[in-house]
Amino acid sequence: MITGASQVTVVPFSFLSMKFNYVLLLMLFSSRTHAQELFTYTEPASNMAAKSIGIRINNSFMREASLSRYRYQLSPEIMWGASGKLMVHASAFFSNWKGSFAGDGGALYVKYRFYSQDEVHSHFRMAAFGRFAFNNTHLHQPAIDLNRHNSGYEAGMVATKLINKIALSAGAGFLHAMDNGKYKFTINDKYRNALEYNLSIGKLLLPKEYTSYKQVNLNGMIEFLGQSNLALGNSYVDMASVLQFIILSRMRVDLGYRFSLLNDLKRTASNGFLVRFEYNIFNAYH
Amino acid sequence: MKKLFFMMVCFAIVQVQAQVSRATLVASGLTCSMCSNSINKSLKTVDYIVKVTANIRNSSFDIVFKPGAAVNFDELKKKVEDAGFFVAKLTVTLSFNHQPVLNDKHVRVSGILFHFVNVKDQELDGEKEVQILDKGFVSAKQFKKNQAFSSMECYKTGVTGSCCQKAGEPAGNRIYHITI
Repeated sequence: MITGASQVTVVPFSFLSMKFNYVLLLMLFSSRTHAQELFTYTEPASNMAAKSIGIRINNSFMREASLSRYRYQLSPEIMWGASGKLMVHASAFFSNWKGSFAGDGGALYVKYRFYSQDEVHSHFRMAAFGRFAFNNTHLHQPAIDLNRHNSGYEAGMVATKLINKIALSAGAGFLHAMDNGKYKFTINDKYRNALEYNLSIGKLLLPKEYTSYKQVNLNGMIEFLGQSNLALGNSYVDMASVLQFIILSRMRVDLGYRFSLLNDLKRTASNGFLVRFEYNIFNAYH
Repeated sequence: MKKLFFMMVCFAIVQVQAQVSRATLVASGLTCSMCSNSINKSLKTVDYIVKVTANIRNSSFDIVFKPGAAVNFDELKKKVEDAGFFVAKLTVTLSFNHQPVLNDKHVRVSGILFHFVNVKDQELDGEKEVQILDKGFVSAKQFKKNQAFSSMECYKTGVTGSCCQKAGEPAGNRIYHITI
C-alpha cells in the first residue's frame, strides 16, 4: 500500500490511471479486432527479424514518493536481430537520480526463441532470456530493478500465445542483485535473490481493417508485473496500461502508466509514466 | 543447320524464362502490420524477386519473379523464417509444355525435380498453379495429414532417397512435393 504523505499527491494520478486502465480493459475484451504482443514493459517470446536493427529511446518518469518529485530516466536502447530466433538488446541508463543528469549504467539482454507452433493468424511460442545489468547509483530498496537501480543478472522464460483476437504473454525470471560498485546491495546477502513474473495482454484497437502498411495502428495493452523477494517473502504487483501507436509499420510510440496494486516489497518509486520511441530498420545489413 | 540450332537455343531460352513466374505465399504466426512488413522487407532482399504485394489482412504476399530466374523455394521459406515467422502455404505458377504427370511420381520441369501427389494422371500444358507440400511450406498439422498421399520417404525429407532411385533419380537431391 502507498503510505503516509505520498498518498495525498499520488492518489489523483492513480485514480486517473485506474479509470484509464479499466476503460482499456473494457476495450480489450469488447472489440473484435486482432491482437498484439509488442508489449512495452515486458518482452514477448517472439523475436524481431534477422538482420534488422531497432533503436529505442525510453523516457521514464517515476514518482519518488518520499521526495514528491519525478525521477526522469533516459534510456537509449539498440536492438539487434542476430537471427530469426536470437536477439540482443543493449541499453544505457541516464537519470537525474544523483541530483544532476548523469549516466547510471547499462544492460545487456539476450533472448532466444526455442519453441514455435504457428498457424495462420495464431502462434504459441516460448523463449529463454537473460539480462545482465550494471549500475553505479546508491542502493536504497530491497526490490531489484535491473533497468533502473541494480547491478545484477536475470534468467527466465517467456511464453506467448496469439489467437486471432488476443495476445497473452506470461513470463518468469530469477533475479540476482549484485553490489553497485562501492554501494553494497543490503546488509544481508540472502536478500539478493528474487523471482520476477508477469502476465500481459494486448489487442489491436485500430485500424478495424488492414489495407496498407501506412495505416497507423493503435494497440491497447494491460500488463501485470510482479516481484517476490525469495528471502524476505515480500512482493509487489504492478499494473501497467499502454497505448501504442505503430506508424508506417516500422515506428512505435508507446505511452504507458504503471502503478502498484500490491506494494509489500519496498520501492521508493512504484508509480510513473513511460514514453518510448522505437524505430526499426529491416535488413539493416546483408 | 545453323538456323535450326539458333531456333533451338531460342526455344530453350523461352522454356527457361517461363519456368516460375509468380508465387503466392501465406505466412503464419502473425496478425500485425509491423510483422507483415518485416516479411515483406525480407522477401524484397531476394535478387530474383521483382515485386512483392502484401495483403496484411490475409498475411499473404503475391510475388513476381524476374523472367528466367532460377527460383529457389527454400530461400523464400528461409526469408520468412528470418523475419521470425513461417510459411503456411506457397503456391507457384509453373509453365508446362505438354508435360505428362502421374500421381506419386517424379517429374523434372526445367531443371527442378518435382514429385506430384494427390493428383489425377494427366498432361499439363501452359501455366498452372501448384502448391508446394514439403515440410515448412505448409503448417505442421497439414504436413502430417498429407503423409497419406505418399508412402515414399522423400516426402518426409524433401531429398531424393532410395525410393527415387527406382525412378532413375540419384539420391541426395532436393525434390519438391507438389499438388495441383
